[in-house]
This record gives sequence, structure tokens and C-alpha cells, in this order.
Amino acid sequence: MLLTTGILGAILTANVATGTTAFRAYTASLNATAHKSKSIPAFARKYGLRCSACHTAWPELNAFGQAFRDNGYQLGNDRDSPIFKDASYLPIALRITPQWHEESTTNQTVDAVPGDSSVKVARRLTTHGFDLSGMDFWTAGTLYKNISFVLLFSSDPFASFHFESAFIRFDNLANSPWLNVKVGKFELDNLISEKRFLFLSNNGGVYQSYHFVPVGDNTGFGIGDNQLGMELQGHNKTSYTRYSASILSSNDGTPGTPTGNSYDAFFTFSQGFQAGALGVERIGAYWYLGQQSSLYRTSGGAPIAGSGVDNKSYYRVGLAGDLYAGPIEFMPFYMHARDDPYLGTSTPGNQALPTGAIGPQWNAEFLETHEYLNSRFVLLQRAEIVRMSQQALPGTPTSLGDIDAYSFGGRWMPFMFSRAGLAFHAEYSLTRTVGNVPISGDGVGLPPLNPTASVWSSSLLFAFDFAF
Amino acid sequence: MRLVYISLLVSAVAASSATQAQPSIMGGAREDFRRYCAGCHGNAGDGQGENADWIDPKPRDFTLATFKCRSTPSGTLPTDDDLYNTVRRGLVNSNMPSWRPLADDQLHSLVEYIKTFSPRWKTEKPGTPITVPPEIPVTADDILAGRALFQKMECWKCHGPEGRGNGPSASTLTDSKDQPIKPFNFAASSRFKCGTTNQDLYKIFLTGLDGTPMPSFADNFHGDDAWHLVHFLRTLQQAESPEKVVWEQWASTHQGQLKPIGPDGGGQ
Amino acid sequence: MTRTIAALGVALIGTTAWAPSAPRATLAGSVTGTITFTGTPPKMKPIDMAKEPSCAKQHATPIETETVVTGPNNALQYVVVYVSAGDQGSETPTTPVHLEQKGCQYIPHVVVMHAGQSLEIANNDQTSHNIHPLPTKNPEWNKSQPPGSPPIVTKYDNPDFIPVKCNVHPWMHGYHIVLATSHFGLSGNDGTYTITGLPPGKYTLTAWHEKFGTMTQDVTVGAQPTKADFQFKATPY
Repeated sequence: MLLTTGILGAILTANVATGTTAFRAYTASLNATAHKSKSIPAFARKYGLRCSACHTAWPELNAFGQAFRDNGYQLGNDRDSPIFKDASYLPIALRITPQWHEESTTNQTVDAVPGDSSVKVARRLTTHGFDLSGMDFWTAGTLYKNISFVLLFSSDPFASFHFESAFIRFDNLANSPWLNVKVGKFELDNLISEKRFLFLSNNGGVYQSYHFVPVGDNTGFGIGDNQLGMELQGHNKTSYTRYSASILSSNDGTPGTPTGNSYDAFFTFSQGFQAGALGVERIGAYWYLGQQSSLYRTSGGAPIAGSGVDNKSYYRVGLAGDLYAGPIEFMPFYMHARDDPYLGTSTPGNQALPTGAIGPQWNAEFLETHEYLNSRFVLLQRAEIVRMSQQALPGTPTSLGDIDAYSFGGRWMPFMFSRAGLAFHAEYSLTRTVGNVPISGDGVGLPPLNPTASVWSSSLLFAFDFAF
Repeated sequence: MRLVYISLLVSAVAASSATQAQPSIMGGAREDFRRYCAGCHGNAGDGQGENADWIDPKPRDFTLATFKCRSTPSGTLPTDDDLYNTVRRGLVNSNMPSWRPLADDQLHSLVEYIKTFSPRWKTEKPGTPITVPPEIPVTADDILAGRALFQKMECWKCHGPEGRGNGPSASTLTDSKDQPIKPFNFAASSRFKCGTTNQDLYKIFLTGLDGTPMPSFADNFHGDDAWHLVHFLRTLQQAESPEKVVWEQWASTHQGQLKPIGPDGGGQ
Repeated sequence: MTRTIAALGVALIGTTAWAPSAPRATLAGSVTGTITFTGTPPKMKPIDMAKEPSCAKQHATPIETETVVTGPNNALQYVVVYVSAGDQGSETPTTPVHLEQKGCQYIPHVVVMHAGQSLEIANNDQTSHNIHPLPTKNPEWNKSQPPGSPPIVTKYDNPDFIPVKCNVHPWMHGYHIVLATSHFGLSGNDGTYTITGLPPGKYTLTAWHEKFGTMTQDVTVGAQPTKADFQFKATPY
């Protein structure tokens, strides 16, 4: 009996040995979200500030923007309520990225003769062309003093829409910035936000660490996926000290309560301090405690949505930093992760574990740097590794699933304004995945013939990223 | 792993090249000004940013070196601390945000940069800050004296008898750029344009809000006059305060004894 | 005889050859003239002082705004005529210039002073006024002056043409004219002005009116008083 994940959809189980089905090592939300971005020209329009006032380079937030966001999208000048704006002001912003890109992946298992599946070979597959990204339709702002909201309606490049974020937040409860409650679907309070980062290519536009799950593991979770739940968040006036504590449904943000009745917990804390002429430095820690049903009730053999039982746990824990040396920003990240053996081997809860199965563990790190040549021009790069420290099954090659990823690029904004934004974006990204399909934004890829072979995947992107 | 080393090397090279090309404080401040301030204040610091048309009150024109929130007498330049405090605290009931999250170094160099927009800073020295004497205790007599001053100094002509900003002259007020401007409504807010404390309020009417109709009363107040007025003004606000407590206690035992503030009123 | 004539001649030449540094006669080294206008000036509106009863009752009939004040025979009042070129320099007078607030009016409507000269502003009304000058070359200030308080003593360091207003009484408008020279005159209701104390020489005069702009004229000052009239073009708007 294969474990079925029902509505979780894009995660399919596969037998490592046979490699019969294309399997993806990332979570459903990643596949559906072709465009993750959170910059909102509507705020610039509302307050008359340039985009650069809140963003180092949109969509990444600077210290002022972080405080604005933490404060419930309010500047706190008693002018935040919508009644202070012209009635024609609507808190709506749109973003999409027309582009040309090339993707090239080695070690793809293809038929030796097209149409004849008897003999397979490993080939490099390359595609390039003009393309579109997905689109974000963003509304966010204040309903009233100290009540804010977000509704982010996102599509993939084929205009298939979903709610990426939708929440209400009660800000400054008891008149204190230390008590804010958010309910809905939202991004986890990661110090290094994947939703507000500056990479766009298929291979570079994801943090491997934020979505990695070992080969053969069916944990449907990524710390970079938006989750459904409730968050208590607090900060001091400058937002240098921040904490959050969330309770989330164990469904990785998929609406319709398709999984079971279990809940996850997530805690973060970060502290910033001023380092003179260098800028504001932040260091943070986080801890995600998750559960996933390993068994569904069935009816006639078909799993019943929402009936998940027999929960198995997993965790993600680590540190992150956001460090400035004048115009250069360093973002180091470390994660240690462990999944339950049942999850690690995709074993249903009512079956015996394979012999010698243990919980897989891995470590992931990255270092991302941004160099802000001025408020309209930023150079980017990132180096990331994921290393399995313990495979679930004995006999699995120790490096199966390991990832190395390197990306660099630049964004140039020809104008910095308050009504709209445009960035000329160029990026190159290269990943190496051992024995598995690479994690990438377009979700395309085939596992290699040989589980110890490295799959190299590269993206080259030239894009015009605009928002209004 | 090799990739990590290469990336660290590249980062280091980028970092060193950037440090060599590290802009001077002024270069850094100019970029910060363009980034944070110029959308309203304009690249030339003249209050003509692209958003100025849609902002009320209008952004400050730094070329005139006239500032509202100072600790120095009317007509004189503010101190660096005055400008730093204004940028850091923001201005209530206006579009000027609180820039507190920015690093202190950034704020100080922005203040230096703001001073380059007007030639006055080269020839004039900032005024001598006024001294704010220690606050006197709050008593009913003290508040009554403040009420008498509110009447005598004719504050009610603009601010209205209850400080609601609806005095007889309120509708015709214009600022120094001939833009209509409203006098402060004490009943609507517990924060003042230039801060939140009694000391901040004290400084407002002893230095005036230059650029607006609010004059300086420095020549007209003597002794504890200014503190009496501060305490009285607190009783006009919504928020609870020690002054309100004292005042309400007095009012409850002396009903009907006060003459209304206004053109016929004796105030007391 | 010829020796007497010659002596007289030498004496005459001798006396006229001296350039007098101070006027020896009442009108020597001076310029005078009349300012008039052509065309139709705007109508001045009566001022409603109902908001300030203590001032309203001082005027039997409401006074009019003073942007354009005319006199008989198309005379134009409150025109400042001053030496704008050719001046050998002047000292700041030590006597103060006086300005009065009475009946919620600035008296005079235009007050002229030398840069650095002391200006004394008195409040002779029963109501508070605030004096709020709006300079471009001097610092802007704003001071309250309750009735019965001493005159405000101030000065402007830089030449400037400064509109002044009272915020409490929005109809009160005046001008403080600050010049680099002490050789100036202000036209009265009959349009005449006089500038005295000018050494003989060539000068440029500038006439300024708050609504009709400026005009210039070159004059040569000699022993006899020089005449320099100005005629402004008035427009109804």
C-alpha cells in the first residue's frame, strides 16, 4: 500500500531503485508559486515615499521598511487610516516579469530513440526562449488604525491563480508593539525572507535550504512556503528586537484542511544592533516543530481528505544573519533538520519501517551577498550547500541528494520613484544535485540514471521586472 | 564545497573593492537623501519632490533654513540636535515618518547633508538654545493661571476656546508659503508636532513654529507662566494625564465658577 | 577793474570747484519727483473687521486694503524710490525706524530702513498681534505681541523686500523694505518723494511698488535739485 498524499498532489512517492516516476524534491507550494515577490508600490503611492525608502532594492526591506511592516503597514503619524487618503486610492499593486531565459540540465534520463522507451540514456537537455513569469496581484494596507491586512493573489505563467498570502493582523494590541496577532495564510517570519529576495531565475530563485527534503522522504514542508495559521509577533519601536511564535496547520499552507488535525509550531527571535558607520546588524535564530500524518483513512481504497492520522514529527532549526558593512550586505544562514524515519522512508504509519531505517538528518548553509552601488543598482551573489549527515536507509550512498548551488546577478533600476518600479535583471545560477532532480522554480527535471551521478542545472536569465 | 570557497573569495574581493570605493560621509548621505528623503523634499531639497503636490502639509523646503521644531529662538537656525530629533521622531499629523530604524550615523550625516541646501548655514550660527527650567508641580491654581494666560494671550483666537482648532481666525490661517494650515487641535491628539512631553510643548511656544502662523511667546512669558500654560493645555487633551486628574477634581467642586474663554470671557 | 573781476572769477570758480559733501542749501544734492500711474488700478476692497470688534469700532467706515493706494491726479502712494547704483556707500543710521499697529493696521503700510537699522514695532491696539515677516534674504521669524507689551526691537541684516502679515488678523499686510543705502524716499498720498544728502554724480534710481513692479531711471545730481518722475502702468488685476 503506497502512502497517498491526496490533495498534496505534487509530492509523489518513488522507489529510489527503480526511478520509475519523476519525483520532485520540493513542496507543492513551490511548484505553484512561479513568482514570489513582495514589494508594493501602493504603499509608495499612499505615503509619497520612494520605493527605496522601505526597500534596499525592492522587494527586499531595509530597516525602515521592516519597522513599517512590523507596525502593521503604518507609519504611526496618525495619518495611516484609509480615510486620510483620497477615496480613489486603492491599496493595489501588480507585478510581472517578461524575460528571456535558458535552462540547461545534465544527466537527464531520456529515451535513446525518441518514441522507443526500451533503451534509456543520459542526456543534457537545454531549452531557451522568451517567457513570462507569474503575476502578483497585491493588496495590503490598513482597514482601520491598528488593523491591517494582506491579500496576495498570485499566478503561475499560465494565469492559474491561487492565494499566496491572505491574512488579517491586529497590530499594537494593548497599545504595545510587542503584541500583534496575525491570522490567515502568511510567510513565516524568517529573518532572511524568500518572498522578498532578489533572485528570479528558475535555479537561483529559490533557497535550496528552504525546500529541501531528502530523496525518498515524503515530508510535505518547506520553511519558505507560506503557511496557514496564527502568529503572535512582537518588536520594539525600531524593530531591532523581534520575536514571533506561530501555530500552524500541518498542511504546508494548502487550504481546505486536506491533511489531518495536527498543528505545527514555529518560533523565531532576532536582535539587531547598530554598528556605527557599518549599519544595522541582525542575528536571529529559528525553530520549526512540525508534524505530518503518515496515514489516511480510505474509502474504497481512496484516501479521504482531512482524515490524516498517525502523526510523525520533524524539525528545522538554525541561525540566520543580516549583516551590513556599509553598502555591502551579508546574509549567512544555517539550518539543521531531521525528519522522522516514517517520513524519511515514506512508510505509511500502519506498516513496519524498512530494516535499519532511521530519521534522515541534514545541514544546509548559504551565504548571500548584496552590493548596493547606489539606491538603484545592486549586485547579487549566493553560494549554498545542502549536505546529508544521515541517510534514512542503510546502503544509501552518503551523498545522495546533496546540493551545491551558486548564483550571481544584478538588478538595475532606471528610475526610483513613488508610483511604479522597473528593474533590469540579469542572473546566472548553477546547481549540482547528487542523484536527484534539482529543486527549481519551474519544477521540470528527471532523475539521473545512476543515483550517484550529479545533475548540473544552470539558468541564465535576462528579465524586465516591473511593478505598478 | 569548492563553490563555497569560490563564493567567499568573490565576496571578499567585492568587499575589498567596495571598501576602497567606499563613499565619503557626504557621498553616503547624498545617496541616503535620494533614497529616503528626496521623494518628498526633492533632489534639490526645496520641498518639490515628485510627491509634494499630493502632500499636505507640504514637505519642508530646506533652502530657506526655516524649521518648525527647534530649541532656539524664532528666526534663528536650529541646533544639530534639533534636526536629528526631528528626523528621528517624525512629525505627527504630517507625512514625515519617524526614521528611528535608521542607524544613528546615517541620521547624523543626513542632518549634515540637509544643511548644505541653504547658504545660511555658512554665515549664521545656530541660535542659543533656550533653557527649559524644571517643571513646577501641578496644582489647581497653576492650571487656573494657565487658563488665564490662554485667554490673555489670545491663543483661543486660533486654537478655539476648547483648543479644538476652531477659533475665529482658524479658517483664514496660511503658512509662510501661503498654503492653508490648521491650528493644532488639542482635543484630537495627545502628541504634539514636536514631541510628546511637557518639555516639548514648553519649547513650542517659547520658540514658535517658524514657517507657520504659530508665533514665539518668548517675550511675553515670565517666571512660571509657560509651565502654567503647559499644564492647562494638557487638560484640553483626550488622554489621561496628571493635569487632567487635578483639573477634573477641582472642576467637580467648583462648578459654574469659570467664565468661558473667548471674546467676552474674562477667562477666570 | 580786471583784477577785481579776475579775483571774483577765481572766487566763483573756487567756490563752485568744491564738491560740497553736505548740502549747503536746502535742496542741493537731492532728487525729488512725483509718482503717478496710467491705466486703471484695481479696486481696493473694504476690510471686514467683525472678528476683531476692538479694531472695528476704531474705524467709522471700514478701511480699504492698501495694496494700491492712489491720490489726487493719479498719484501713487507707497512707492519706494532708492539709489540702486552709483552710491558711494552709506552708514547705517543710528536712529530707529518706527512701525505702529493701530486699528489692526500697519502704520505706515510700507516702512523703509537701511540694512542693520533698528526697527521698533509697537502694538497700540487692545488685541494681540503677531508680527510675521516673510523675508527671502533674512531669517523668517514670528513673534507674538500682546497689548501693553513693550515695542519689539529688531533689525534686518540684508537688503530685502519683505512682506509682513499678522496671522491672527489676516487682512493686515505690510512691507518692510530693507536697503543697502540710506538714500531713499517713500511717496506720500500726493505721489511726491524726496531723496536728500546725495553728492553730485551719476546715479541710477529704482522705484518699487508692491503690485506694479519696479522701474529705473538714471539721474545726474548737481547743485540744483534733480527731478525724477516715475509713471507706472496700472492694471486692474
